[in-house]
Amino acid sequence: MYPFGYQRIDTPQALKAAQQRQRGEADKAVSYLAGGTTLLDLMKLGTLAPAEILDINGLAHDYGDISWADDELRLGALVRMSAAADHPRIRSDFPVIAQSLDLAASPQIRNMASLGGNVLQRTRCNYFRQTGWTACNKRQPGSGCAAMEGVNRKHAILGVSDHCIAAYPGDFGQALVALEARVDILGFHGTRTLPFHQLHLAPGSEPERETVLLPGELITGFHVPIGPWTRRSLYLKIRDRESYEFALVSAAVAMHLDDNVIRDVRIALGGVATKPWRAHEAEQQLIGRRPDLPAFEAASKVAFAAAVTRPGNRYKVDLGQQTLTRALLQLAEMEV
Amino acid sequence: MTQQSIRFTVNDTPAEVSVDPLRRLADVLREDLGLTGTKIGCNAGDCGACTVLVDGRQSCACLVPIGQAAGHAIVTVEGLVAKGQLSQLQQAFQDHGAAQCGICTPGMLMAASDLLAQTPSPSEQDVLDALGGVLCRCTGYRKIVDAVLSLGKTTAAPVSRNAVVGARLPKVDGLAKMTGAERYGADSWPADSLVLRAIRSPHHHARFGFGDFAALFAAHPGLVKILTAADIPGQNVFGIYPTGKDQPVFAEGYARFRGEAICALVGDAATIAAIRDDEVPVEWETLSPLQGVEAALSPHAAQLHETAKGNVLIEGRLARGDVDAAITKADIRLSDNFQTSFVEHAYIEPEAGYARRVGDRLEIFATTQTPYMDRDEVALIMGLRQEQIRIIPSAVGGGFGGKLDLSLQPMIGVAAWLLNRPVRCTYSRPESMASTTKRHPASIAITVAATKEGRLSAVRFHGDYNTGAYASWGPTVANRVPVHAMGPYHVPAVYCTTRAIYTNDTPAGAFRGFGVPQAAIALETMLDDLAEKLDLCPFEFRYLNALDKGSVTASGQRLDASVGLRACLDALRPQWERLRLEAADFNETSRHLRRGVGVGCGWYGIGNTSLPNPSIMRIGLKRDGCITLYSGALDIGQGSNTIMMQICADALGVPLSIIDLVTGDTDLTPDAGKTSASRQTFVSGAALRLAADDLRGQILRLANVGEPGRFALDGRTLRVSDGVTDQVIDLARLPAAGENGDVLVGEGRFDPPTTPLDADGQGIPYATYSFSAQLALVEVDIELGTTKVLRIAAAADVGKAINPTQVEGQLHGGVAQGLGLALMEEYIPGRTENLHDYLIPTIGDVPPIDTYIIEDEEPLGPFGAKGIGEPALVPTAPAILNAIRHATGARVTRVPATPDRLRAALRATGRYEAAK
Repeated sequence: MYPFGYQRIDTPQALKAAQQRQRGEADKAVSYLAGGTTLLDLMKLGTLAPAEILDINGLAHDYGDISWADDELRLGALVRMSAAADHPRIRSDFPVIAQSLDLAASPQIRNMASLGGNVLQRTRCNYFRQTGWTACNKRQPGSGCAAMEGVNRKHAILGVSDHCIAAYPGDFGQALVALEARVDILGFHGTRTLPFHQLHLAPGSEPERETVLLPGELITGFHVPIGPWTRRSLYLKIRDRESYEFALVSAAVAMHLDDNVIRDVRIALGGVATKPWRAHEAEQQLIGRRPDLPAFEAASKVAFAAAVTRPGNRYKVDLGQQTLTRALLQLAEMEV
Repeated sequence: MTQQSIRFTVNDTPAEVSVDPLRRLADVLREDLGLTGTKIGCNAGDCGACTVLVDGRQSCACLVPIGQAAGHAIVTVEGLVAKGQLSQLQQAFQDHGAAQCGICTPGMLMAASDLLAQTPSPSEQDVLDALGGVLCRCTGYRKIVDAVLSLGKTTAAPVSRNAVVGARLPKVDGLAKMTGAERYGADSWPADSLVLRAIRSPHHHARFGFGDFAALFAAHPGLVKILTAADIPGQNVFGIYPTGKDQPVFAEGYARFRGEAICALVGDAATIAAIRDDEVPVEWETLSPLQGVEAALSPHAAQLHETAKGNVLIEGRLARGDVDAAITKADIRLSDNFQTSFVEHAYIEPEAGYARRVGDRLEIFATTQTPYMDRDEVALIMGLRQEQIRIIPSAVGGGFGGKLDLSLQPMIGVAAWLLNRPVRCTYSRPESMASTTKRHPASIAITVAATKEGRLSAVRFHGDYNTGAYASWGPTVANRVPVHAMGPYHVPAVYCTTRAIYTNDTPAGAFRGFGVPQAAIALETMLDDLAEKLDLCPFEFRYLNALDKGSVTASGQRLDASVGLRACLDALRPQWERLRLEAADFNETSRHLRRGVGVGCGWYGIGNTSLPNPSIMRIGLKRDGCITLYSGALDIGQGSNTIMMQICADALGVPLSIIDLVTGDTDLTPDAGKTSASRQTFVSGAALRLAADDLRGQILRLANVGEPGRFALDGRTLRVSDGVTDQVIDLARLPAAGENGDVLVGEGRFDPPTTPLDADGQGIPYATYSFSAQLALVEVDIELGTTKVLRIAAAADVGKAINPTQVEGQLHGGVAQGLGLALMEEYIPGRTENLHDYLIPTIGDVPPIDTYIIEDEEPLGPFGAKGIGEPALVPTAPAILNAIRHATGARVTRVPATPDRLRAALRATGRYEAAK
């Protein structure tokens, strides 16, 4: 049940050394520990059993800052969710980020969880989390998917495959996708920077591969470009109770509205997809249009045109369209 | 895993432990440092009971690996007390009645401490945001909000220090809940205890056999014993009803539900934690499970219990008048079907306790609602005499009916007995949820009929209740539901039938209301249908039909006193009229939000249905002039300790300061029955009054003083007076009468007068009923299917409020649970075994609640009091559903009304397609 290694990493040099060791032991399951809110939960359930844990909280000096450049917001991966959500300038200039964090988890978890860990949060699919279910392609490649014929009210309808319909559980990830953020990834060979939307993978035939991260690679930060759409942005989350609950459907949206014409719009959907989901086609529908209900309704239909549903989650098409329409309406009415 | 030395501070004191760095902070605090004020409710970050401050910020101690705490400052609830004084925050919680069972209180206090350190004068929204990650199942949160908001304000809580009936005395056992000193089931254990963990069926329905355990013992030297059914010394069976015991402690080769115990591992703590379930050699042969009543009733279904043909455990019936004729003759008749879900009690304290052998006796310290039933059942299982079993209830971190059945008691009892070592056990949250009882899902078909003037003519009701794999409290479906299913109304013709059906689902048992809330959802929705068709105000329609003094119930019982339903409605009428107008105004200008106001009524027979349920209470007078109240009435957070102390003090006319309370221990207290069926105030309270009368009589006789005599205690000096002569007695000179050193012992026994019900359900099932009515104001987003409850107004006729703060607490808690039942709670066996896939209301879900306490005194009750625990919950879900319907026209016939179900119901109205 317990891993045999626990090491505190307090300097970038120590991290590099650890990454070098890992290169020699590629088949050894190593996990980074930041907030621990997902890792410890899943270790207790037996869903995850890392052989070694690298506690990176000592790297907060290097990767724990919120800073600003002329054209972007920079978020260190070890910034805690609450610190980003409470930051006055993030609240005013990037409402979608602050809201996606505020509406996620509980105050305690937001104090503990890091932004880097948050975007890597694992799915809440019960068949994945509970090892008592034998069929889960994500946990046991090739074992099947119990959710297909099981209780799948909360499962995904976009980006699904015959192998997996587990929904991506996060909120902040949708904000990053909508804002075309980039993510810094530190590996043994140095840092690479990717568009955030390339970080997560749809399940396809390999649901066990959730991201493009290579063994040993660590997310160190995010860059969020400042644009004419960032202040006019919001996060709308529909869930079964008022707080501390995952989304049935959510929408992260941002819009550049000029002279009552939509010059640019960004739409990301959560709760309905296997990864943070960008609705490009819906966006295209709206560019150059007036921000009115018929336009938003038409775009919302397009956003869910590719949905693949099961009996338990068929409602998400309707609820998703309604949610997106509402988010866009609220966005158009925002005072910025 | 290698141990590491880790240093940090706890409550400003340096601490150093040498442990696995991944050991959780919560475990280190509790097990290694003895700070058990930090509670573990879920061990997964879902409930917040373990909330502590890490460098001043609230964090879940169950998710902090201790390695991460190195160099940091931890503050726990024990650190809030300074110089022996409660902090202002703790005092505010105590004065406002913000703690009931108290298991969430440490977490709430820590979350609030974090908030107040940053925002000394928080707004209500600040409080809701900051406390949103701590779940409470008892209080409905509102008194917690009030307590936090009161800091920095000058208005004090309306607290009385006077222990008389009717006073707002703060909880007599409240301080320990504030400081973390209270000992719940998992908070005490003998130092040399072994640990027990049950291995449970991962299948809903299966046969199984064990392999050879030798390899497991060889691999784990710390494994001492594997208990199986073969180790049970007595009968391997338990169950609530003496003739219907059907549940094994350990299944014998055949498991009827996922979560059923098949064996248990006993050994040292580290070993038991390290053994994976799949290391235990078990061969499974899975069988097709019967899930839900439809599967179990199918003609081809397997029969799950030998005695239950067609899987029907029991049937209930009540018949009065000619219901067919009445329905035919009525001006209007309406029918529909309703479905409710399994609902989990979700007390924040999982089952926990320890057992030890003391000579030829067995002691069990554990969380329970019913020490005497536990004693009797454990005796049967152990093959011991009842006197050989001592049950010492721990403080109970919430029950709501779920701790009326045995859970771990027989397992730890057998283990401790056989090994002659103390054995402790704490259920994990998934284990608690998978293995203990639930609210019965009900499938209800109902027809209601009325005259065009709005008089109810008839109710025909059939309910199939899924009792799961074992009977538990299933029989109550047969006896309680038919009596209550027509609601607190005068209905001349009634035909109610019920069935409890065995399935391969989690056993359903007692849960606040025993099947009545499910029936109320169906009936009260139909009443709104009738009112709409008849073009009557739904509120006045209920008033017109409400039971009143002199009414005869459907079981033929004439109600001569204490029928306060109309008084409840009178109290609510001004709000009803105002809120309905305000909702209509709001809807005039609203785009997608619709407000509505609904009403629901409920009644509840106090105590067992037509079965004896006596309480015996005892009061002793010691030589030093102190009174001891021996109360077996177990306080599970609802406040019976405080209620009994107030009754005792008032009935004897003595101050609280000279009364000691001894509670619950089967060696020390007489049998006051179980804490269920809203009975303790009424039944045990009445017994206590008799005990007080008895003691008073003895005192007068001792002084040879006749009535009306008075007495006063001044230390060991007893003064007795009949107004003419005064007698002074030195108590220290009297011989002790009882084994506890009491010189006088007063005893009272009360068993509510009832009569058996005949085949038509006619008779006197209960000595008295409590009545309640509630209004809900909701706001529905018609496009998103979300419902926000904006306000609840709750009125209840409790006969007499012994302590109004406690009555309000019960109303608030009942409302919160009713709100969960209506809007979010749905337990799916095998799929929702944690507090995040199973949702209960958070602090942000429960709206402001106005309470109206009606006191239509019950002549049999102590000072006129009846009960409140369950009547508080019954009307809430109907009021909310009727409010949704008033707001939108959408009728919800399946709860919970989640956004997807509500969207479907909205579409079914046909009203909203155009708007879409």
